[in-house]
Amino acid sequence: MDDPVFWRTMRLTLEVSLVTTAILLLLGVPLGWVLAHKRFPGKRVLESIVLLPLTLPPTVLGFYLLLLLGQNGPIAQTFGFTWAFRFEGLVVGSVLFSLPFALNGYREAFRSLDLDLIQTARTLGAGWRRVWLEVILPITWPGILSGSILAFAHTLGEFGVVLMVGGSIPGKTQMVSIYIYDQVQALQFGRAAEASAVLLAVSFVLVYLVRTLEDVWRSRMPSSTR
Amino acid sequence: MEIAYALEHPVKLKLNLHVQGFTVLLGESGVGKTSLLKALAGLIPATGQPFAGLRAEERPVGYLPQHFALFPHLRAWQNVAFPLAYLPSEARKRKALEYLEQMGIAELAERYPKQMSGGQQQRVALARALAREPQILLLDEPTSALDMATREEVFGGVLEQLKALKIPTLVATHDQWLAQRANWVAVLTKAGLAQQGTSEEVFARPSTLEVARLVGFRNFWPGRVVEVNGAWLQVQTSMGLLTAPSPDWAKVGEEVWLGIRSEEVFSLDGPHNRVRGEVWHLRSQGLRVRGLFKVGEVALDFLLPRYKQAQLGLAEGQRLEVALEPHFLHLMRS
Repeated sequence: MDDPVFWRTMRLTLEVSLVTTAILLLLGVPLGWVLAHKRFPGKRVLESIVLLPLTLPPTVLGFYLLLLLGQNGPIAQTFGFTWAFRFEGLVVGSVLFSLPFALNGYREAFRSLDLDLIQTARTLGAGWRRVWLEVILPITWPGILSGSILAFAHTLGEFGVVLMVGGSIPGKTQMVSIYIYDQVQALQFGRAAEASAVLLAVSFVLVYLVRTLEDVWRSRMPSSTR
Repeated sequence: MEIAYALEHPVKLKLNLHVQGFTVLLGESGVGKTSLLKALAGLIPATGQPFAGLRAEERPVGYLPQHFALFPHLRAWQNVAFPLAYLPSEARKRKALEYLEQMGIAELAERYPKQMSGGQQQRVALARALAREPQILLLDEPTSALDMATREEVFGGVLEQLKALKIPTLVATHDQWLAQRANWVAVLTKAGLAQQGTSEEVFARPSTLEVARLVGFRNFWPGRVVEVNGAWLQVQTSMGLLTAPSPDWAKVGEEVWLGIRSEEVFSLDGPHNRVRGEVWHLRSQGLRVRGLFKVGEVALDFLLPRYKQAQLGLAEGQRLEVALEPHFLHLMRS
């Protein structure tokens, strides 16, 4: 714990995870709704693409992102900026990599929502804004929060993608799991043990929260009227 | 209120419907009853009057889906206050409590939906629909989520209250019990609206075989009109010549169907329409007895109170002669 690099690494990891989770929330909630309740041509293709990071080796995803965001990549040539080896690159990689985790949670939450509630709310004079704020979100928040926490925890321990896109520059793009790996390589087992213990504790708390939320959520679903 | 609506999806449906007091839209599942209610509420696309072109949130309707759709995260009074969002919060709660009071469940105001019975949930949902100040109430299968045994007790009171409100109410159901209590009944079949009229009219004089089945007729057999004599006519059937009330459309030579309700097969002993047959397949149904009475090729389903069975001393295989009371025979076009 006496290593200042560890704390900077931990801080960066938390920042990346938080920003990633926020972006996933904005992106994933509408996407989760569409996947849960809309039918359109090409839906299965879209579902496959967003679930792809589950099976794709992280290094493969990272490699393509590196090509896309790197100095000679299409983004650099079209828009003139490179996100590789920067905070932004870490976030883009993490968003893509954790998307399936967040999305599964959101989609399940929306799927189990009784659509009669929404239709009835509309007949009671509520426009879409009120329907979302007063019906959909208050009922599905435990599912949305649990999806977000899972995505957060998943980002926290990320290795392959952030190594490829970020390059593991200590204090700048080095995430905590890569830090642990580096300490082991340098035979600094004490530091590796401390960092691992912190991650273990944080992960346990997060998973515990998710389980608790699942119970809250289940108890809210009006199973007696279905 | 007159309703003229045309739907394309999920069922193709076009009808002109009269809604007067407590009106029941009777039909089997799949004929588009629920779809029509949803279309009226603006939840699925349709063309027609009233409310043409209005979005769901702009229509003055009180819509009650089958399972009532109470918001599970809100207390009873908060559910009722949902459509009262235009009021300041204090007036909103007061008004919501008034509606609960009107439905006779003021004491449930602080409960969550999960903590209420089906009947109580229904009353809360009705209070909420009324808070919308609707021009029409739309109820989808209001008795299906209730216990059959307590239906009369639970829904009977609600029914009286709804009738007293003087708000036109359109109820989609396949429940005959409910249809019998309606001011007006419209029968919907796959082919469209088959008949509408007072419940007495529809139950006593269904216009087609399909309507007759829906309102509880089980016995049909074919015949040919051989003589029309004012209010009565004679029909030649495989049971012999039968006398029946003459509908205004009946002509000599016409092929018709005859129908009689199971409860009325052994009802009265009279001089007319005496037929001989054999009793089969007796079985008890609660406190009543159901069986088949075979007259030639026709097997009439019958249903009797048990005292009547005791009086007649019915047994399987027994042959006897009964009268099919002419008043209870009903003629339908073939």
